[in-house]
Amino acid sequence: MSLTYTIRYQSKNHYESPARGASWQFLILPEDNRSQELISWNVANNLAADVNVSINGLGFKTIRIQANQTFTDLKIDATFIVQKEERNPFGFIPNADPAMDYEVMATVDFQADHETELRKTPFTTLPVQHHAIFSFDRKKNAFDNLMALNTWVYHHLFFKVGVTDVNTPLEEIIMKRHGVCQDFTHLFLAISRQHNVPARYVSGYLHQGNGYFGDSQMHAWVEAFVPNGGWIGFDPTNNILAAQNHVKVCHGIDYNDCAPLKGVVYAEGKNTTSHIVEVIASQQ
Amino acid sequence: MLARVANNLFWMGRYLERSEHVARYTNVNYFSSLDAPNAISQSRQFVLRSLLFMIGAPEQDAQKPLHEEEIIYNIGLNPEYDHAILNNVKAIRENANGARDLISTELYESINRFYHYVLNYDPNYFVKRGLYDFTIGVTQRTAILRGKIRGTLLHDEIYSIIMMGVNIERATQIIRMINAKYHDALLTKGSYGDKVGNSFEWTTLLKCAESYDMMRRSYRKTPTLLSALEFLVLNGDCPRSVMNSLNQVCNHMHILHLDHRPDKGSTSFLAGKLRAEFQYLRVEDIEQDINGFIQKVLERLYQISNKMEEEFFLY
Amino acid sequence: MSDHHQNALFSSYNRKPNLFDEVFDNDGTVKAIYEKLITLFGQHALDDYVHLNNKAKASFFNQGITFQVHGDKSAQEKIFPFDLFPRIIDTADWEKIESGVIQRNRALNLFLWDIYHEKKIIKDQIVPLSLLSSSVNYLHQMYGVDPPGGIYNHISGTDIIKHSDGKYYVLEDNIRCPSGVSYVVCNRTALKRALFGVFNHYEAHAVTNYAENLLQILESVKPQGVDNPNCVVITPGMYNSAYYEHSYLAKAMGVELVEGRDLFVENDFVYMKTIKGPVRVDVIYRRVDDLFMDPLEFKPDSSLGVPGLFAAYQKGNVCLANAPGTGAADDKAIYTYVPDIIKYYLDEEPILNNVKTYRCDRPDDLKYVLENVDKLVVKPVDEAGGYGISIGNRLTKEEIETVQNQVKESPRKYVAQPILSLSVHPTYIDENQSFEPRHIDLRTFTLLGKDTEFVLKGGLTRVALKAGNLIVNSSQGGGSKDTWVVKKDS
Repeated sequence: MSLTYTIRYQSKNHYESPARGASWQFLILPEDNRSQELISWNVANNLAADVNVSINGLGFKTIRIQANQTFTDLKIDATFIVQKEERNPFGFIPNADPAMDYEVMATVDFQADHETELRKTPFTTLPVQHHAIFSFDRKKNAFDNLMALNTWVYHHLFFKVGVTDVNTPLEEIIMKRHGVCQDFTHLFLAISRQHNVPARYVSGYLHQGNGYFGDSQMHAWVEAFVPNGGWIGFDPTNNILAAQNHVKVCHGIDYNDCAPLKGVVYAEGKNTTSHIVEVIASQQ
Repeated sequence: MLARVANNLFWMGRYLERSEHVARYTNVNYFSSLDAPNAISQSRQFVLRSLLFMIGAPEQDAQKPLHEEEIIYNIGLNPEYDHAILNNVKAIRENANGARDLISTELYESINRFYHYVLNYDPNYFVKRGLYDFTIGVTQRTAILRGKIRGTLLHDEIYSIIMMGVNIERATQIIRMINAKYHDALLTKGSYGDKVGNSFEWTTLLKCAESYDMMRRSYRKTPTLLSALEFLVLNGDCPRSVMNSLNQVCNHMHILHLDHRPDKGSTSFLAGKLRAEFQYLRVEDIEQDINGFIQKVLERLYQISNKMEEEFFLY
Repeated sequence: MSDHHQNALFSSYNRKPNLFDEVFDNDGTVKAIYEKLITLFGQHALDDYVHLNNKAKASFFNQGITFQVHGDKSAQEKIFPFDLFPRIIDTADWEKIESGVIQRNRALNLFLWDIYHEKKIIKDQIVPLSLLSSSVNYLHQMYGVDPPGGIYNHISGTDIIKHSDGKYYVLEDNIRCPSGVSYVVCNRTALKRALFGVFNHYEAHAVTNYAENLLQILESVKPQGVDNPNCVVITPGMYNSAYYEHSYLAKAMGVELVEGRDLFVENDFVYMKTIKGPVRVDVIYRRVDDLFMDPLEFKPDSSLGVPGLFAAYQKGNVCLANAPGTGAADDKAIYTYVPDIIKYYLDEEPILNNVKTYRCDRPDDLKYVLENVDKLVVKPVDEAGGYGISIGNRLTKEEIETVQNQVKESPRKYVAQPILSLSVHPTYIDENQSFEPRHIDLRTFTLLGKDTEFVLKGGLTRVALKAGNLIVNSSQGGGSKDTWVVKKDS
């Protein structure tokens, strides 16, 4: 079965004092991969500035907008149509002996190949006093442990909008036990990497039709590398595996690689930004 | 050439010319007033007010007594005073730094020495006894810079950009001097029966523009309002005249802009149009409304400079 | 053999018998290669020499060949202190240095390729993975990117010292934005002006050919499909302490010196803004640090960079020299592995030795370091310019404790080396009005291009001007000397 999604992304940026030129990069284009295909897209902006497609540092497609005039507002309105195939995330045969998973993951070759996804960044480093916050059950294979981790993160944190921002340290998230999808994701990443399971931050869109957590913003989840299974998506915010409701845009080492909007604006004073995301499904 | 660097070179030329004119105006006015034929022109207060008027910071309060050392310090060496020669020279060097890879080592070295000369000049000595020495020092060094620009740079676009700055600024400064001296002549008229037309100020004006001797050679008479204006505005042979500056501006525009039929509204067009107007201008026309003429020319020069920035320096 | 005691300039020179003196042997005789120089200098009275030295310094000042110490609020312009008495390196020594630095920098280039591709050296367990994963200078964005011509460290500055055993050792590798080469040229110019009559008695290699070789190297790594590449130098701007060097190199190569705001990226191509409109840029010699290069990819608040530059680089439309991420191979913890790195990639023995280095992330080494702070030089692994270095025998008890605590806190951040006695060279000391022995090192400059390489025959001999001081960096009050590599032992 395949689903067709119409995704609408709107962003409004207001600058208190008029800006004299700017360069923005939007990381919002759904990627083409084995389970999804970008059928068509359109990005409009109120400045009538050229829209170019480029790539970010990890090779994901970006939209670049360059404004040379003076302005106080930037509005962009993007529409993507994506076809999503349903795939069974359980459709792989795990190692018969769970110990084999950990043996593979302990090898230098494996760790060298996945150096990036095992790297501890400020967002994904467990504070020392929380090192034992979650432990793996070595009698179970890596996948089962990740499933358990997914559930654990889901229960450990409470989904709450507006209490954290992009700069909130992991320690505070662990202590205060609330946050948004980003925070769920970073906590999962930190624990997974601590146990030598390569994991990466994924940014994308979530179809909330089934009552999933999200906040009409871009969504974040995890892809973890499971021996024999490859990259599998875990959504700790909703305690599910990422499947046909998740439309991926990009992945990276942490949020910094995946921020939907980066820009250089030549302006003084404050600015305000808001995004609205809407995902509408139609079955085929 | 990079647009930013061209902008630096243009302003380097402008500040160079500005430093020189301010220094020379200060020197000539201060010292020639000492033997001026009437009491007003000799008055320190009158001279100081004239200096402030010329640099663009006129004292509005006619009754306020001015403190000589303070004014001299401001105009020469006060780092907090925008119009100070010190700040003009700093700006020359700052702009040269931004274009350092394009100009010759010799030119840069002369600018740098100039900067250190001004920076290290003792302010106490300056305000008490150093005014003559310092202002002469500044004008000599600007002459060296002009020589290095001419003698060590390729006469290509880089040179033309600098010379555009030099000439637009020169024309502007000459007009400002005329404005200041016209203002002074109005103030001193009547004392000792002088009329504005043959005021002593016209002699001072020509000396401020280093054009007195050549003017005497040309006219063989004591300068008057009409002859001084004719010489300093319209005589293309006088190297300090507005006409001469406009001729040079047009020649350098030609190098930057090989288009023979420039777009209307382009720098080339604006400069060429002003030159053409000047070619057929009579001093009698100017005399009708001197203030109006001065304001109009300043406005036109300002437009040319602005257009230049827009056309070449902004991308 | 001339006895230096008969020589006016050097009559009061106090040799330090326990240090290696580059000019005088232990019994006070002049080494053969310096004989002629000493005789020629001897023809000058001390006053003459002082006069010439001052003139040379004034010429640096007038030309604005100055720098500003960073962190210094008053931002006083200073000249880089300069001593007219040159250092001479003979042919045999130079050949060893030259082949040694080429070998080293080629190996580091292969190492960089490897750690940004298959990571074989890690899988073969020559270099531990932890070194990479804890390196803040490793840019994961560079993983899988093929730099044009396969070159990462186009420009390398390798610092070399001569120890009291008379052998050369590599002190550190600088393969991010090494600076100092402009001073090599200035020193030579100043010396030739002041002492032509001395200089022309030796056949020393020229140093002015650096810029044309640099341009050749830059052109060799042009993007595919470009015939006549447009190369530029990018600088953080005129307030940068090395701005003189940036402008010198641009001028000497005859290329534009640009700032970030002079460039823009459109459709992943880089252009510069000229008075006649946009002109494409193909190769950028970059003197802006990695993280400031592109605000869309790295530090978002950087105003020094060019939005979109990194994407243009990834797509192969522009070459950056040095490549982003080279810092992963020149930190002081990697340094200890360079001999292994050379053997691994080149299957050769290192020509130049490393200084024995203790890595505080190894438990045994850490223990030794903590117990012997007073006998060691402790250095942070990721600081350049001589910052944060502590030299054990000059520390008070409290300072030793501070160092121990810092090291214990983050062992990965520190390495330690025995306190080396760098060789000394007679240097004129203004305050004492005499020549005195001062410690020196040598920064060499190596260029790697596509199928081509070059080492500047000479280099920057840096002098620690304070008596007994071992830190030669200009930011720490060091000076420099002209360095002559002689063609034959004349």
